[in-house]
Amino acid sequence: MDRRQLLAAMAATAGSSAGPVFAQPRGEQLLVVMWGAQWIEVCRPIGEEWMRATGDRIQWELHAGGAMAVVGRLRPLWPRIQQNLIAAWDPVFDAMMEAGWMEPVDPAEMPALREIPDIFFKKNAQGQRMTVPLSTAGAFWGYRTDLVSGTPIESIEQLLEPRFRGKLCVPVPVNLSGLLMVSLAIQRGGNERNIEPGWQFLTELARRGNIGRVVANNSEMISAMSAGDLSVAFWNTGGWQAVRNRFPCRLLTRLTDNKGFLFNEGFAVMRGDNPARIAAAKRFANHFATAPINTRYNMPLGSGPTNVNSQAAESIRDIFYTPEELPRFAYIPDYSFMASQVDAWTRRWEQEITPLIRRA
Amino acid sequence: MMRWLDLPLRLLARAGVLVTVLFLLVPLVVACVLSFDDRSFLGPFPPREWSLRWYRGFLDNPAYMDGFWMSVQVALAAGAAATIIGTLAALAVSDPRLPGRAVWEALFLSPKFVPTVVIGFSLLVFTARIGIFDPFTRLVLGHTIITLPFTMRAVLASLIGLRRSHMEAAMSLGATEARALWDVAVPAARSGIVAGAAMAFVLSFDEVAVSLFLSDAFTQTLPIALVAEMRANLNLTIAAVSTVFLAATLLLVLLLDRLIGIERLAGDVGARG
Amino acid sequence: MRRLPFAAWLLLPGGLALLLLMGGPVAVLLAESLRPFVPGSMRPGEGLTLQNYRDLLAPAYLFYAWETFRIGLIVSALSVLGAAPLAFAAVRSPRPAVRKGLLALLVGLLVMSLIARLYAIEMAWGSLGPLAPIGALTGIAPRSPRYAEVQVAIGLLHFTLPVVALMLVGAFRALSPRLEEAAASLGATRADAVLSVVLPLAAPAMVSGFLVALAMCISNFIAPLLLGRGVVVFTTSLMYTRFADIGNYPSGAAIGISMLLLSFAVVYGLAALARRALR
Repeated sequence: MDRRQLLAAMAATAGSSAGPVFAQPRGEQLLVVMWGAQWIEVCRPIGEEWMRATGDRIQWELHAGGAMAVVGRLRPLWPRIQQNLIAAWDPVFDAMMEAGWMEPVDPAEMPALREIPDIFFKKNAQGQRMTVPLSTAGAFWGYRTDLVSGTPIESIEQLLEPRFRGKLCVPVPVNLSGLLMVSLAIQRGGNERNIEPGWQFLTELARRGNIGRVVANNSEMISAMSAGDLSVAFWNTGGWQAVRNRFPCRLLTRLTDNKGFLFNEGFAVMRGDNPARIAAAKRFANHFATAPINTRYNMPLGSGPTNVNSQAAESIRDIFYTPEELPRFAYIPDYSFMASQVDAWTRRWEQEITPLIRRA
Repeated sequence: MMRWLDLPLRLLARAGVLVTVLFLLVPLVVACVLSFDDRSFLGPFPPREWSLRWYRGFLDNPAYMDGFWMSVQVALAAGAAATIIGTLAALAVSDPRLPGRAVWEALFLSPKFVPTVVIGFSLLVFTARIGIFDPFTRLVLGHTIITLPFTMRAVLASLIGLRRSHMEAAMSLGATEARALWDVAVPAARSGIVAGAAMAFVLSFDEVAVSLFLSDAFTQTLPIALVAEMRANLNLTIAAVSTVFLAATLLLVLLLDRLIGIERLAGDVGARG
Repeated sequence: MRRLPFAAWLLLPGGLALLLLMGGPVAVLLAESLRPFVPGSMRPGEGLTLQNYRDLLAPAYLFYAWETFRIGLIVSALSVLGAAPLAFAAVRSPRPAVRKGLLALLVGLLVMSLIARLYAIEMAWGSLGPLAPIGALTGIAPRSPRYAEVQVAIGLLHFTLPVVALMLVGAFRALSPRLEEAAASLGATRADAVLSVVLPLAAPAMVSGFLVALAMCISNFIAPLLLGRGVVVFTTSLMYTRFADIGNYPSGAAIGISMLLLSFAVVYGLAALARRALR
């Protein structure tokens, strides 16, 4: 008997002795990986209600850095992994799909998927739906308007100015899978496949001492941008939402010489050898995809719900584009290509950027 | 030396002691104050509004209590293993007839100088290779090897005073070597064994680097639960946690003082180097 | 054949533990470090290569090794400097309450969670903390990225100082107060007696305290992880990134083996140097 079976057995005995009079089905124990900060704050109560309603047990594990880290961490362990659902986004979905870890999802088992437009799903070669899309989110440059005085930022070229010395908060390359470099590359005429101009821009920023802090996850970004010594950041909409709730911020979603990035976040159902547990994981993921929960989940994250019957938060209007604006201001890079570059970009960052930030 | 220098030097030494004590204590006091801060983020000191919300957050999260019990189990198991193995090794190394004593001693102390990250990472790869996947077993193995030098060293230090002649006297009276060790050497080493075991427990309980590699989502020690929660979700719960730790430590120190006497304990622990 | 001494049998469990829990893992690590890394795949490539080590010769990685070492040296020196008067007072203060209080503080810190202490340091010494103005005395503004270095050093010092102090408590206890009395009877002042009699005798303990502190610093990685603001990178952090973030095990293994060699060279090499100097 392994630990998990033991826990399940203990839970079952506890349920039978102290539980309600009606028969509780023996619940499944699910391990669900989620991001920290508001993500886990909104998910914990949803999970608790679910546990009371179904008897399944939800154990949350938190992403320590970006979601991509989980792929690196689980790869050597596969297929002996315990995770049943992993919250992730486009490049991570691509990496896990390529590794063959994900279970296809089907509206026959998960009816709420019928209310999500087809375009949001990632599909495998056989055309099966592979992801449970929950949000449309983005990554943007932005700044705290209470801290940046003088000319407002209209182009990220301005970030080279001396007034931003030590003021920039940027993600480590593994986080957001390198979107920072892509954004900087676009500014200088490149893109994710022509990344060199981005590195040059980044080197200039680091050499001038303008990069004040390198953060590894949402929670660090939110604390760093709340402390008051940093004023500009490149980050996802969830982190920005938390900062915007505390301080006046402006997101640079409509830059004339650069683009914002859009992507989908959601759940990946992991393959495994226990069909009952996979079914339980699908039921839980389906619960998140239903309109009321999808609305509730996206509200504090400042992201757009994917279920057509959900409500979007009023505050996120400026983040989303009309169909005409979309090609002008937004860009959807080749996320699966970026996923393959994370190792090389991380090592280049260590070799070229960190020493510059230290010396500046 | 000039006599007039005496007073300034003494004052300087006193000031040094005071500064060092403040250096060690003030951060803990700051954390204590911030744990009652009502703001939802780490803002400028001191707080203006007060609340107990972070303590509620701490109590509501089962990860900390689960981690605490896991840490206790791992520390007890690994501490016991390291104490037994370390005591036997120290008894062997203290025997002047053992060939290559210095080499053995250096070998047993060597895990202390292997960076714990290296131990954790390599043990993870190694245990997977030999088919050990249970995280609890992995954690106990990892903690045993990192605490072994400390138990060995503490026992060895307490054996320094042991006269070989006492052992030989026992043996000349007909005791086997094992019997003589058990009757003469082990009692002589008792204080070292106790100090080593205490040291092993404390080190294991607070271990981070090895555990980070060897634990998994269901088997997390308290420090790992803290790192995981705080890295993903940094907020002032950590101040509440620090304060709880501070209170628990104070209680423990008082208890230890009653039981063993703090002066003696400090002397034994000082032998860890 | 000569009979093995009984003591040799007692070595068996310890020898097995060393072999299985250190020797085996390090050998596997060494083997792993010689495998080529295939980006995007976790399966190591075929054949053997030294590329993972060659990569580490890039100037940036030598810079990280040096930075780790430099911060470690500063912190170790400071911890001996701070620990010596503290330990002396804890042993020789005429007031029992002072002795007991200091010892309780040291033992208490030793058992108190390092992580809780590191976060307490972030709160107290961080750019918003009440101690930031004192941190600024180093000449590095608390709001600049380089201040992370100061914070990491403070975190490490908080970690090493109580350990070194307790080691010195042991050493000072072993010295008889009679020595100072004798010096005093020859007309030396108390300060003089301490400087000329006690310090030289405690020197070996101070050296070994310094080395233990150094070993603790260069192999620590939780302090740069929590206090380094993503800017202070220790060799340990590089290794962790390969394991946890990018899944590049061969490169992580190469860093591990290099660190191991470096750490042994530093500790045993410095110890040999110190022995020669003290002789």
